[in-house]
Amino acid sequence: MKAIEDFTLVGKTILRREDSYLMRGKAQFLDDLPEPKGLIHIAFVLSPYARADILSVDASAARALPGVIDVLTGKDFVDDIKLFAPVIEIGGYRPVGRPVVAGDRVNFVGEYVAVILAESPYVAQDALDLVEVNYNPLPSVAGIKDALKPDAPVLHDHLGDNLIFKSAFETEGFAERFAEGDVVLEEEFQLGRVTGVMIEPRGCMACPDPIATNVTLWTPTQIPHIVRTAIADHLDIAESILRVVTPAVGGGFGTKAHVYPDELIVVALARRLGRAVKWVQDRREELLTNAHAREHILKIRVAAKNDGEISAVHLDVRTNCGAYPNHPYSPTLEATAAVRMMPGPYRIRNYKYDVCSVTTNTAPTGAYRGTGQPSAFLAIEGMMDRIGRRLGLDPAEVRRRNVIRPEEFPYVNVVGVRYDTGSYLPSLERGLEMIGYDAFRAAQPKDRLVDGKYRGIGICNYTEVSGTGAPGWRVRGFAKMPGFDSSRVVVEPDGKVTVYVSQADAGQGHYTTFAQLAADRLGVDWADVMVVEGDTSKTPYGTGTFASRGSVVGGGTVIRCSEKVGVKIRRIAGYMLNADPERLVLRDGRVFDPADAERRLTLREVAETAYSMNNLGLPQGEEHGLEATDYYDPPMVTMANGTHVVQVAVDPEDGRIEIERYAVVHDCGRVINPKIVEGQVHGATVQGIGEALMEEIVYDAEGQHLNANLLDYLLPTAMDVPDLELSHIETPSIDTVAGIKGAAEGGLTGAVPALANAVGDALSGLGVKITRVPLRPSYVFEQIRKARAAGEGRT
Amino acid sequence: MSANKVTVRLTVNGKDYVREVEPRYLLADFLRHELHLTGTHIGCEHGVCGACTVLINGKTGRSCLQFAAALDGAEITTVEGIAGDGPLHPVQEAFHETHALQCGYCTPGFLMTTIEFLAQNPDPDRDEIRQALTNNMCRCTGYLNIIDAVEDAAKRLREGGRKA
Repeated sequence: MKAIEDFTLVGKTILRREDSYLMRGKAQFLDDLPEPKGLIHIAFVLSPYARADILSVDASAARALPGVIDVLTGKDFVDDIKLFAPVIEIGGYRPVGRPVVAGDRVNFVGEYVAVILAESPYVAQDALDLVEVNYNPLPSVAGIKDALKPDAPVLHDHLGDNLIFKSAFETEGFAERFAEGDVVLEEEFQLGRVTGVMIEPRGCMACPDPIATNVTLWTPTQIPHIVRTAIADHLDIAESILRVVTPAVGGGFGTKAHVYPDELIVVALARRLGRAVKWVQDRREELLTNAHAREHILKIRVAAKNDGEISAVHLDVRTNCGAYPNHPYSPTLEATAAVRMMPGPYRIRNYKYDVCSVTTNTAPTGAYRGTGQPSAFLAIEGMMDRIGRRLGLDPAEVRRRNVIRPEEFPYVNVVGVRYDTGSYLPSLERGLEMIGYDAFRAAQPKDRLVDGKYRGIGICNYTEVSGTGAPGWRVRGFAKMPGFDSSRVVVEPDGKVTVYVSQADAGQGHYTTFAQLAADRLGVDWADVMVVEGDTSKTPYGTGTFASRGSVVGGGTVIRCSEKVGVKIRRIAGYMLNADPERLVLRDGRVFDPADAERRLTLREVAETAYSMNNLGLPQGEEHGLEATDYYDPPMVTMANGTHVVQVAVDPEDGRIEIERYAVVHDCGRVINPKIVEGQVHGATVQGIGEALMEEIVYDAEGQHLNANLLDYLLPTAMDVPDLELSHIETPSIDTVAGIKGAAEGGLTGAVPALANAVGDALSGLGVKITRVPLRPSYVFEQIRKARAAGEGRT
Repeated sequence: MSANKVTVRLTVNGKDYVREVEPRYLLADFLRHELHLTGTHIGCEHGVCGACTVLINGKTGRSCLQFAAALDGAEITTVEGIAGDGPLHPVQEAFHETHALQCGYCTPGFLMTTIEFLAQNPDPDRDEIRQALTNNMCRCTGYLNIIDAVEDAAKRLREGGRKA
């Protein structure tokens, strides 16, 4: 698709229409929706054990509590909800299903053991403490390495061990090419387990329709259509009787791009009882049970020439699946992302990977902003610095020697991913320039110690997968992930426009940006375009808003669909004006021939003809109505890119890391609304700072979750955030509609490796190697202390 | 369930309300479910995230940590009371124009914190703003545009509600 050059509104900052109702407290998030009569509030009894047999559940005291309607356990759902499992078709994946409420075995702390049904949420909470569950605790396992030991407890008997997924890849003649390197470097990197921590936890409410057998599920999800398909599959009901609607969504970040057992449970209960059923998650449940992410171990071996050029890379990635595969991605999501994205912006032609996922007695892991990419780049960017140190080359120079240069595009990487356009080298150079890289290096002492603190610079040059289409999902085994998104654009009888999009906004500003796109293509005021999303009964089917899809796929379909309607507008107007439709222009709410001032109509006049509201009639063969529907399946993936360069100071007295300078260069192709892109970059980068420096879900070796609250799971606050120096490069895609690339995840992907490398550079004089995140002060302090002690021992 | 309900009188956004609730009923639930003022959001229920921040007798407080009954007679301001349906308050204008909100779930809490902060410190520097904003957590914006918004709002308020 060729880039469109006649945009009038694309590329302009338009302030969001969402803000007014959000700032007045009028938005309706799930728990703000009016509650239907007869609403049942549910609460879940959570397993306190990582692995145990459930010997008995005594709910008599809970049932006796006034206001409690019922208490249900796993056996009560066996008849109407199938074992919950994603459909994954990739070699090396072994399916595992999950009862939505545990049967006779629990496999992680937080697993649902019983469901309280009550007349009020307070009573439901009271009843939780009255359910007596008799458990027989069993040996359990939490970490990847422990779960792979031959004597490890096996979670799912039918697998025989804990390997739920294993795959490998190798280019031809890999061993020979690897042997051609002058030096070989090896490292093992680790990323802590994190999660989205949206400020709005999840929740859902199912409302039966009193006059039909239909059910409406309100759920703050990023993937309403996929939720509907999954529920219909597992409850064995027709998709047509289920409507999934998203209220306002208080942040998603991938965590809300899953289907969860509770969504199946409320629909099943509403159907069974004929009453509305609501569940609201609290923060403890959010941290215990929502999809976690990361907890990856990456072993990387790199062979390089003496000039820094990489000869070959072998990457071994191990990920923690948790107790069950998440729906709909399974653990293959981050695992295959990490190994497929590692080559990134570099010319790596000889590549071998081994990858596996391991079941453990921990919460299921899944999607979270960046998906596999922070891990991949922590490894390869970490090696760029190590190559530099080994060979006495500047780490920026090592990157220059390996980066794919502008003249090499379009480029197909070693695992078959096409990079249509990109600014990998210009982005790197600009980032270095912004931070004053050469001057900093020139002044940097060998021991990195300046004014009592160790100071260093870290670089991350990254690619960012966005807008994945059907081929991109199929190649990774996601059999039920459509890839396309869709829209329906309607010019109403009064000439105003409604745009229905298959996606679901969680704060990205779709109600403004999609209106901007339709208005641009139809030549109307953007304020006259309404956007409807997040309702399976109103929009055509689609994949949803995650994995940086919104602008590429959602935006792409809105542009295409608006242009389809534009063609019909021109046809009807041409008939009305007795003019050549091809010559007509849509602008300022009018349709006109620029060369003939007499030939002009308002869009409303054309719409009235289309809707038979005058005596003009339609051209022969033309149908009534003024709308179009579009399904847009984008390319396999669309690669955005960018560079983070960050300067830190590490205080040896307490191990604290201060970010002194932070430069971000960002290229997401055609920008729709610059201020909104800036917001995405800020937000993602700060989540990356969190993942790099403080965030981590901690389990003990047996799988007890140690920090399911926001005092112990640390999120960045305003005090932790430096002012970012931002620079945009706009290199439009030549493969997507209008040249758009995604923008939502690169900030996180860039931040984690850049910060790790900066700390590694700062402490390189001490001989400290940085191989893991998060880099909390206690960990950094301990590394410094050990290195200093070893240094004193030597001298 | 709740034989022992107590009478709670609160003035919320200038209006007087009397309700019978359980003594343990949280102020946040009272506002949200008794008065249907759902702009005050609950994010953590343990006083960390600040989404539920309201003004209690003019001072910010966590409505998720306080019992409505313990505040009998208090004056509460929620996000609905900032501008109602009228023109946006200067702090809201500043948030809008600097793109200081994305999903908007945390925003009511930030607005209440900012209004109190700027009343106490009308001309803050960025470090003081950062410190004040640690009262609240945001997961979307990375805080930078919120810091800009508070700076901008301070200017608007100093200039009598209009931007320079």
